Amino acid sequence: MSARRDSLLPNAAIVARHEYLDRVRSTLFVVSTLILMVLAVALALAPIAFSYVSRTQPVTIGVVSADEALRGEAVGTVDRILNPEATGDATVITSRGYIVEGMADRQAAERALQRGVAGGVVVIDRASGGQLRVTFRTNDPGNGVLNQLISFAAVAVGILDWSRNLPPESQLGAFLTPDYSIEGTNVIGEGGGPVSPEQAAGRSLLGIVFVFLLSMTVAIYGMWVATSIAVEKSSRVMELMVSAASPRQMLIGKVVGVGAAGLTQYVAIAVPAMIVLAFQEPVGDALLGPGWAAEGTTVAGLTPALLAGYGLFFLLGFVLFALIYAAIGAYVSRPDDLQTMSLPLSLVALAGYVPALLVLGGRDASWIRTASFLPPFSPFVMLARIMVGRATAVEIALSVAILIAGIVVVARATIRIYTAGVVLYGQRPSLRAFIAAARRPQ
Amino acid sequence: MSLEIDRVTKRYGATLALDAIEFAVPAGQIFGFLGANGAGKTTTMRICLGVIPADSGEIRWGSRPALDLPRRIWGYLPEERGLYPRLTVLDQLVYFASLYGENPHEARREARNWLARFRISELEGRRAEELSKGNQQKVQFIAAILHEPEILLMDEPFTGLDPVNVGLLKEAFDELRERGRTIIFSTHQMELAEALCESVAIIDRGRVVAGGSVRSLKQAAGRRTARLAFDDAGGAAWLEGLVGVSVIRFGADYTDVQLADDADPPAVLRQILSRGAPVTRFELREPTLEALFIDLVGRPAEEPAETLAP
Repeated sequence: MSARRDSLLPNAAIVARHEYLDRVRSTLFVVSTLILMVLAVALALAPIAFSYVSRTQPVTIGVVSADEALRGEAVGTVDRILNPEATGDATVITSRGYIVEGMADRQAAERALQRGVAGGVVVIDRASGGQLRVTFRTNDPGNGVLNQLISFAAVAVGILDWSRNLPPESQLGAFLTPDYSIEGTNVIGEGGGPVSPEQAAGRSLLGIVFVFLLSMTVAIYGMWVATSIAVEKSSRVMELMVSAASPRQMLIGKVVGVGAAGLTQYVAIAVPAMIVLAFQEPVGDALLGPGWAAEGTTVAGLTPALLAGYGLFFLLGFVLFALIYAAIGAYVSRPDDLQTMSLPLSLVALAGYVPALLVLGGRDASWIRTASFLPPFSPFVMLARIMVGRATAVEIALSVAILIAGIVVVARATIRIYTAGVVLYGQRPSLRAFIAAARRPQ
Repeated sequence: MSLEIDRVTKRYGATLALDAIEFAVPAGQIFGFLGANGAGKTTTMRICLGVIPADSGEIRWGSRPALDLPRRIWGYLPEERGLYPRLTVLDQLVYFASLYGENPHEARREARNWLARFRISELEGRRAEELSKGNQQKVQFIAAILHEPEILLMDEPFTGLDPVNVGLLKEAFDELRERGRTIIFSTHQMELAEALCESVAIIDRGRVVAGGSVRSLKQAAGRRTARLAFDDAGGAAWLEGLVGVSVIRFGADYTDVQLADDADPPAVLRQILSRGAPVTRFELREPTLEALFIDLVGRPAEEPAETLAP
């Protein structure tokens, strides 16, 4: 006997509507949405708070030069510019906002920068023509205020060096403005070209936010799908349902309905937070004065293309994981059993989350690039690569195509597992028995 | 037109759940599917609905294979009772009816009618988890019939109901039959099957051991029983000593005896009267469905079969 063939609609839509309303009307949904909304707004205000706190924490700026005299002079100059009221000292000057420290060893300075002990390192070299070359290496290239002050300091160091090296009776030679540049340690580009430091910083931050939101969404709303199926099985209503709708209609309806409920909560949480973000700068200016934060802490760098990329991978990632969670929900016999399954499920999501964070931290290893094409990691890793501008259009298209193919494969497998789960409801089957049931002709 | 189960076989691993079962259910009848737990009744119903596939054989409604029929042809009350715990009764009924293609407004109106019929109108706004098991069962029954299916499959519909609700359900069965619906219900309560069914199939360990109209089955059994009552409270153990008579049951007010195939009932009565017994009743009776079942299966329907069919 061949299996019954039912068209997806209208039953999948009816199931989706039922699942959606069942969730959004529940008290738990309303309360959790309100709590998360408040938390999101608090998070959106966090940069202002961090900025306030960081003002009380001095930042170390290292000054590296092989020329000891030049280094000492530069330390004093940088310090006077960064900390206007401080008094100079030849080697180490401590003041309210910045600690400016002379360093003879370039490598030690780099290590301090990598570890975050130093907020930036000013490297001063002398070219063969006598011109100074000043490079400001920083982990925070979006901090426009600091960059500007260091550039002033570079000019001042150049003037002092020029005047110090003039012979007493010689004619004045031409003053050579130091060659000044900023090197961000986390380079971000777009379409092969670099983006501004502000955008780069903004994108890194947004990338972390997006990847985090995706992993949270997958874990929370995926669990909703699994729970919904497990509850149906444990309440025995599933057998009544399967006479009215096909497993395919039910499964897709559930994923869509629960997904829509999740999206509703998501929008309810995100919209107030986005409004706060949009008004973050004026609020910060009012509370802390102009230039209170680096531009990178705002939504600088967020473009429609990035938003579209996020939306696409969010949607595909959610569908993929919702189907995986649905399979787990169909496998267990009671909602309680899901608790024991939640850890391995979370690890699956985490397996994509971690390499994505590495990408956002500047790593670009070949295994990470490979992961950006492979479901279930690709929604996280490719999203991160897009955010830091390290993915070409072809790579993105390939990743999406593989992800969609993966969704189709997982959906078919999940429908089989779901159908087998219908027959094995009320039991706690062994994995072997379950696989056997899923392999039977449907 | 009839629902034909044509040599359907189903195997779960090494267990043969259905062994080429074959029977027909005439349209518009109430049909009893009789068997102990594990005999294969639920598996047969699930195959009818397409929930699980048969290994071989076919199920047809008229000339059409069952799997070609739209779902709304079927109404199903599973043995395992279940409703959405947090959904209200009315919403639940409308939801199920919608899945079968009913207009939600029509379904709401019809659901209210049925709730009134089952005397639970006041429960329409209550959550399923707040209902008693009996009331949940009534709601499930309504969910199975609200879309007016042509064929109703009911797996042990009377189990767990009190006598009042059994009566309500029997009335509903009669009404549905009058509307031309075909009702197939499984049970191991033989007296209910006898009261309701025109035809039955008896299944044991995945095999149909008998099937057809209840009358023809009884006639084919060739068994005759007699019910005797006496006008005193004395024992009737002496009946065992009569030629061609064996006692089936000593009741409080009567005694059932089985007559041998060659026994002549008037001769048996004369024997009894010759003993001077004050006979107030001598009634020849057909065998009960329960007796037939025990004859055919070798044990009462309450004892589970030894197969592992779900």
